[in-house]
Amino acid sequence: MKRTRQKRSPVTILGMVFVAVFVLLCALPLIYMVLMSLTQSESPYFRLRDISLDFANYKTILIRNNYTQAIVNSSIVAVLACLWTCFVSALAGYGFEKKPIPHKELVYKIMLATMMIPSQVTLVPLFLIIREMNWLNTYSALVIPMAGAFGVMMMRSFMKSVPDVLIEAAQIDGCSEFFIFFKVVLPLVKPATVSLTIFTFVSTWNSFIWPLVTTTDRTRYTLPVALSLLATNFEKNYGLIMAGATITFLVPFILYCILQKQFVAGIALGSVKE
Amino acid sequence: MNEGKRPFLTRNRRQALYGVAYILPACAVITVFCIVTIFMTVYYSLTEYNMLTPAQFVGLKNYMKIFQDKTFRAALENTVKYVIVTVPAQVCISLGLAAFLAEKMQNRTGGFARSVMFVPYIISGIAATAVWSIIFKPDGVINTLLGQFDIKGPNWLGSGNLAFLCVCIVAVWKNVGYFLVIYYAGVQGVSKEQHEAATCDGASPMQRFWYITVPSVKPITYMVITLSVIQSFQIFDVVYQLTHGGPGTSTLTLAYIIYQAAFKDWKMGYASALAVMLLAFVLLVNLIQDLFFKEKEGKR
Repeated sequence: MKRTRQKRSPVTILGMVFVAVFVLLCALPLIYMVLMSLTQSESPYFRLRDISLDFANYKTILIRNNYTQAIVNSSIVAVLACLWTCFVSALAGYGFEKKPIPHKELVYKIMLATMMIPSQVTLVPLFLIIREMNWLNTYSALVIPMAGAFGVMMMRSFMKSVPDVLIEAAQIDGCSEFFIFFKVVLPLVKPATVSLTIFTFVSTWNSFIWPLVTTTDRTRYTLPVALSLLATNFEKNYGLIMAGATITFLVPFILYCILQKQFVAGIALGSVKE
Repeated sequence: MNEGKRPFLTRNRRQALYGVAYILPACAVITVFCIVTIFMTVYYSLTEYNMLTPAQFVGLKNYMKIFQDKTFRAALENTVKYVIVTVPAQVCISLGLAAFLAEKMQNRTGGFARSVMFVPYIISGIAATAVWSIIFKPDGVINTLLGQFDIKGPNWLGSGNLAFLCVCIVAVWKNVGYFLVIYYAGVQGVSKEQHEAATCDGASPMQRFWYITVPSVKPITYMVITLSVIQSFQIFDVVYQLTHGGPGTSTLTLAYIIYQAAFKDWKMGYASALAVMLLAFVLLVNLIQDLFFKEKEGKR
């Protein structure tokens, strides 16, 4: 301990202070959120003795404010979006990487270019299409458009690691296309599927503007939309709002705690491999 | 199909057909939801459409209106200001933290710090904003703390510039962890020998950071800036929940006024014209960024 302390330069100490401050800045608002959700405080601050573990706010919110329905909606939408995105992206990633499609690089480039477009640019026509298809207030509206170029890019970069020899061997053995894709290729790119699933799950779970414009029916609200409404309607009931925020936060957080490595690996890979 | 002596479906063609089948679902989704919609946006920007009566072609009228619209000008200014404030802040903080953590804290403490810093990224924007809006209240945590030192805290969300700052703080708070992860992977790729050689030559940590780390991660910086700029243009959740664009027009952004025009005023044509402006703006910034980076590359 002494040895290292002598070595530390002022810059190092300054850096450590900076890291410590930033860690606190990241954690404290969230700790505040959880603690506040356990109080009935009428003001934005609370004393430690205000905290009680009776979860009164959670009970209120789950029973009275359609929150149970919102949790169900969010879960269904997020799970379906993961399945759909992984399926579509894995198929396309395999096709782009391993099949001799004419002009595929051009098609791929155009596809990637769509990632640059802010979602609000296409918001209005997307809404009009969904409305035309009578998909307003349905899960389809929230799930189908979630698949995009990002997943294809991620899957394709992983498909590079699948040896061509293996696929050819399977073809020579007379395996069907269907068999090769599901039984040979997919198991090999499982890590990518996990990363993409996490990514899609979190972004679908947290997405706000799209559910906001496509759902008008209260029973179809997802958690962020329900929370937004709650925060507007019960402006002064801080404990209740924080309970809503905590519920919204909890699922991605638990997922993160369990699958931290895959979370981080997915982001690092998805970005650096470009 | 196999009538002729040489089958129409040679092995290669068959593989190509399979390939097309593989990419078809993704291509269909992306074409309909990302590409066709852009052309629709351009088309609707030339119409007046309130969803009750059929869309009426009005030529460039919407664009004329945009240039006289004070809300648009405010939103444009704010969006530019917002990009100028948050993008450098996010890049500097995340790169600084990543470099420091990779060099001095590659241990469990450092790992824990990184894990914690990533958490704000996975919280929903609405939940994060709900928390921060209570923290920013006139009698909220920040002002209570300031009160302990006998400083009368301002009404954070009540005045234009401060409210704008609040939006920036929440956004930077939420995003730094994400860019930190990207940078951390990049910083670890910087060669150790270079650092050791520089240390032997008597370079200070700051010098090594500036002359070795920063140039080495330039491709990553380019990507981080691109991602950060796109994100900044899309800021919506925080503005919607924290300030509703106010007070006045001080935190309106392009993304927010598109939503307002379309889903509050039901002016689909006008909203589409605003969306076209946003797209043009993103492309312009991208072009500038490309030129800037290429020029710098040439100089080195």
